[in-house]
Amino acid sequence: AKALAKCEEEPNKPAAVLTSAEQLSIADLELRFKVLRENSELQRLHKEFVETKVLTEDEFWATRKKLLGKDSIRKSKQQVGLKSMMVSGIKPSTDGRVYYIILSTPSWKLSFPVKCSCRKEIMHTISSLAQLTNRVTFNLTSEIIFQIFAEKPAVRQAFINYVPSKMTEKDFWTKYFRAEYLYSTKNTAVAAAEAAEDEELAVFLKPDEILAQEARQKDHGIQRDGTMDVVEPQNGQFRRSLLQDLNRHAAVVLEGRNIDVDSEDTRSVAEALARVKQVSKADGETTKDANQERLARMSRVAEMEDLQAPQNFPLAPLSIKDPRDYFESQQGNVVNESRGAGTLKRNVHEAYGSLKESILEIRTKGLSDPLIKPEVAFEVFRSLTQTISTAKNIIGKNPRESFLDRLPKSTRDEVLHHWTSIQELLKHFWSSYPITTTYLHTKAGKLKDAMSNSYSLLEAMKESVQSELRHQLSLLVRPMQQALDAAFQHYDADLQRRTAKSARGSAGEANGSV
Amino acid sequence: MFNKTLLVIEVSLSLVNNTQASILAGNFAKCSDSNLAGHWRRRKKMIFKIEDVTVYFPYDNIYPEQYEYMVELKRALDAKGHCLLEMPTGTGKTIALLSLITSYRLSRPDSPIKLVYCTRTVHEMEKTLGELKILHDYQLTHLGAQAKILALGLSSRKNLCVNSKVLAAENRDSVDAACRKRTASWVRALAAENPNVQLCDYFESYEKAADNALLPPGVYTLEDLRAFGKNRGWCPYFLARHMVQFANVIVYSYQYLLDPKVAGIISKELQKESVIVFDEAHNIDNVCIEALSVSVRRVTLEGANRNLNKIRQEIDRFKATDAGRLRAEYNRLIEGLALRGDLSGTDQWLANPALPNDILKEAVPGNIRRAEHFVHVLRRLLQYLGGRLDTENVEKESPVSFVSSLNSQAGIEQKTLKFCYDRLHSLMMTLEITDTDEFLPIQTVCDFATLVGTYARGFSIIIEPYDERMPHIPDPILQLSCHDASLAIKPVFDRFQSVVITSGTLSPIDLYPRLLSFNPVVSRSFKMSMTRDCICPMVLTRGSDQLPVSTKFDMRSDPGVVRNYGKLLVEMVSVVPDGVVCFFVSYSYMDGIIATWNETGILKEITQQKLVFFETQDVVETTLALDNYRRACDCGRGAVFFSVARGKVAEGIDFDRHYGRLVVMFGVPFQYTLSKILLARLEYLRDTFQIKEGDFLTFDALRQAAQCVGRVIRSKADYGMMIFADKRYSRHDKRSKLPGWILSHLRDAHLNLSTDMAIHIAREFLRKMAQPYDKTGTMGRKTLLTQEDLEKMAETGVQDMVY
Repeated sequence: AKALAKCEEEPNKPAAVLTSAEQLSIADLELRFKVLRENSELQRLHKEFVETKVLTEDEFWATRKKLLGKDSIRKSKQQVGLKSMMVSGIKPSTDGRVYYIILSTPSWKLSFPVKCSCRKEIMHTISSLAQLTNRVTFNLTSEIIFQIFAEKPAVRQAFINYVPSKMTEKDFWTKYFRAEYLYSTKNTAVAAAEAAEDEELAVFLKPDEILAQEARQKDHGIQRDGTMDVVEPQNGQFRRSLLQDLNRHAAVVLEGRNIDVDSEDTRSVAEALARVKQVSKADGETTKDANQERLARMSRVAEMEDLQAPQNFPLAPLSIKDPRDYFESQQGNVVNESRGAGTLKRNVHEAYGSLKESILEIRTKGLSDPLIKPEVAFEVFRSLTQTISTAKNIIGKNPRESFLDRLPKSTRDEVLHHWTSIQELLKHFWSSYPITTTYLHTKAGKLKDAMSNSYSLLEAMKESVQSELRHQLSLLVRPMQQALDAAFQHYDADLQRRTAKSARGSAGEANGSV
Repeated sequence: MFNKTLLVIEVSLSLVNNTQASILAGNFAKCSDSNLAGHWRRRKKMIFKIEDVTVYFPYDNIYPEQYEYMVELKRALDAKGHCLLEMPTGTGKTIALLSLITSYRLSRPDSPIKLVYCTRTVHEMEKTLGELKILHDYQLTHLGAQAKILALGLSSRKNLCVNSKVLAAENRDSVDAACRKRTASWVRALAAENPNVQLCDYFESYEKAADNALLPPGVYTLEDLRAFGKNRGWCPYFLARHMVQFANVIVYSYQYLLDPKVAGIISKELQKESVIVFDEAHNIDNVCIEALSVSVRRVTLEGANRNLNKIRQEIDRFKATDAGRLRAEYNRLIEGLALRGDLSGTDQWLANPALPNDILKEAVPGNIRRAEHFVHVLRRLLQYLGGRLDTENVEKESPVSFVSSLNSQAGIEQKTLKFCYDRLHSLMMTLEITDTDEFLPIQTVCDFATLVGTYARGFSIIIEPYDERMPHIPDPILQLSCHDASLAIKPVFDRFQSVVITSGTLSPIDLYPRLLSFNPVVSRSFKMSMTRDCICPMVLTRGSDQLPVSTKFDMRSDPGVVRNYGKLLVEMVSVVPDGVVCFFVSYSYMDGIIATWNETGILKEITQQKLVFFETQDVVETTLALDNYRRACDCGRGAVFFSVARGKVAEGIDFDRHYGRLVVMFGVPFQYTLSKILLARLEYLRDTFQIKEGDFLTFDALRQAAQCVGRVIRSKADYGMMIFADKRYSRHDKRSKLPGWILSHLRDAHLNLSTDMAIHIAREFLRKMAQPYDKTGTMGRKTLLTQEDLEKMAETGVQDMVY
């Protein structure tokens, strides 16, 4: 039932899937849908070729086994990390005006004036602020709330305790930011005085007891042995250090969003965070894991690295949404250092020459370690990156803008789409050879037709574009057409060869009739 | 976790029967980590000869400088003399040292030497024992049972205790006290009559096992000791302390040899035929000085007075109930302190800090033999000290004049002072006091009295009414500060056959024998043979705007300097992958500059590229930050760690590989030059050793800087950049004090860089280093020797092969 529900969400797909000869498990189907849903480019290809029956469902997926592998199930959704920057820094300004703080969240808004301290310091927020005359708007997003709760367990606990039984959420945040403001003025006397009158406010100003306790449990490591190293208690009860805040913030960012609550509701965020903490405490997980990790690290450092294989660190996999954009932005660095075009050309040849040489060497001497000499590899990569970036610059003139970027968006998308679909067709086409069965034969035929179709589409596109862009566009399109031409040639030659062969042999077989 | 370590123990126990199997198991475990490069893991390992000693080295290859290091070390051992060896970090000093000394021991079975290896931190202790484990396993496979050794780490109760009730105590001193409350002899005697008195089960069963409580041969880290103790039900702390006299290798902290209070208990039974190694010893003079310096504040005196009240009450109680006990003590004191040998092991919690031997044999002066008289003397002493603290001016005095004015004003003689520490010790023992940490103030005062009564030279007494940096807060302090590092280490040099002082930074190497007053038979500084130029030191003198940068006093808070330092980091974090480490000259400077960067938005720019973590004065917080920093580097997010020269992180934490691709030293880490103690020490050094003030300060600052940047590399496969960001580093007199292995990579073109130039160099360097390379060395320079190379070398001589 669940699979069907999914099918309805994807009205374009079901027909093609049901024709699949192989019996697929529901889980497999679901996975395929999921992959298609998350990758619009793939979805478009699927629509273009599977639904028009150029390719069968299985053929389409056969080349993409990796996407359906176990890893993709687990890492289905890339977790978006938290920002490294501190969001809730508030500091006094010195321009002497009275400011009103407006806190706004999706559900409510509040504004309160900030009293001037004796030094006429008015607060404003570092980030997410838009100043309108004397107003500061602070967008209290759910991400900020999450970070405040995660970084300050005592505030989180206070929220659970006070809201809504003792005060409204608005009052809570007003008090919180009042405390932040007092803290930022560094005037501990005023802070202490206000805290004495208001016990809830005091909670925000005091050092975080819950944090201190957690830290104590993890105590191990670098203290010197034998000397007295008793941690001196903090002198001022109402002083927190910026460095501690920064450390805590970074730790929370590193932990990531460890709760599974998408809700905007502040209370459920607070409760979920409290639960996470409790669970990990119950398992004794934090200390145990940390200890184990420490031991593992210890054995790693005991050995000398030169003689070992590299360590595999628990890297967070990075999935890049738009590879083209990413790699082009990386080229910026290389461009700055590119030498003259002449030396570049020579470099390409030299690099090619030395690569060829080392391949020859492998042929004669066999594999060695390292496979390719580091200098050669370096030279080849360097000249390749340089070629890419300079080619882009020569066409685009402006280093930030390539020719592709100057095309109208629709044309650009069309070019890129043609590129991927031709790639897909070519991949299937070439993998059909040598033709040994009728099945492959019909497949190659279908692909050839689809490719001729693409070919004419390319021609049509060239015609339709403005005349001043036509030359550049045909430069772009030429490699695609050349690739298609090569495929057509091969198709014809192969056909001729086989017709001749079957004519020579006994006629009358099925393949002779083609 | 415990299951795993138990397994390790069982493996090492069964080594006797089946060494081969356990080695195989070990290798198997390692191989399963990574099948990718199995052929790198298959080890041939080395056996080679240095003159008459067969050396077992647990790797396939050896660096040429490791080999040379062993040769020099062997010469020192042969000559039964002390030595001073400087070898760059990242060249496997520790394993070379362990390998040579254990092999040396094996080659002289009739006169086995004992190795005492001193480290500065628990972390380093565990690392050393880890390396020794690998070595020991290898020697066992080759030699079988005859290679068996007992090696163990020894640390405080806090790190070894397994009694959960005791561990619930929060800091080290309360763990000590909680332990004593359960293990002191009189507590145990009391428990025999009163079942409500709590004892420690681990200690009881350790005592019950008596002479049978032994550790089987093997290498024991602290973790291993705890696991063993838990398993057998024996207290690991007392077991380890007991085993010290049987162990072949002991790894423990500097204090156990240098601090006379501790050394008296732990290390007094070590035989003369021991090799003492001080690793990472570039700060050894400071450790020696700290061990003999005492400071007294108002709170100390108040606490000491309370202690005396308590002692007074106890005396009265004993007088009423058990007067015989006090009389027995009196009789013992007439005969001299050396004869109190009838005390049990657990009761010897403190011993005398005074070094002269006569104090043990002499009778205690008559005026403090009686308990109540002694309390009176101490009261007068406290009163006198309190009077001295009332001063409004800074005062500096020599011990001689201090003692004479103490005599004239309070009527306490020098000889009486000398005995204070031991007299207190004896009294507390007689009074059956177990809450030793409550009595710290009075112990501090007696410690002070004994030192001031013992030493006429090498010390001064400095009284300051307030901290120079905060003159508005009255905080009087009386400090007895030791200026002569040789005093604390003298007994070590005198007593043991060979003392090895080694570190990555001992430059200039001729200064250390003068500071510690000893004559090394070998004193050498090794260069690093590089497979490639894997370190890139740079001196940055100005920002991109050409304004000079420096932490010189008149410049450090200049907005231009602060901005340029910030911009340097902002630019660097966008170029350098993974970890970046920054060192500042002091906590207060770091606090200030970070606050400014926070206000001007520079910090925000940095955090756009990497997470930031900070060392603070709170050890727990710092440990946590460091842990998170490593995790951030491991997972690929990248991070910056901000730290302080002379801090705990700079002293003992490696930032090797991706944990540190760049280290920036902001400024020259001079000591706080207005400090009265420093000034007194400088004066002493000038008068006694003819060391100029400026020379010493520069030497001290540069060794700290070298120590900070040296954290970045730990092997030749590693690579990293070092930026010295201060215009003063471009001056020859400063720069030349850096160790040779850094200087040899510091090119002339990198001596006067601006930020933009440094960025350019960094880009080029990182790109070059990220390429694969040939680890055995190219261009005719061998940087990784095989066994065959060594055999050839034995024929042709070392120099031809290496350079």
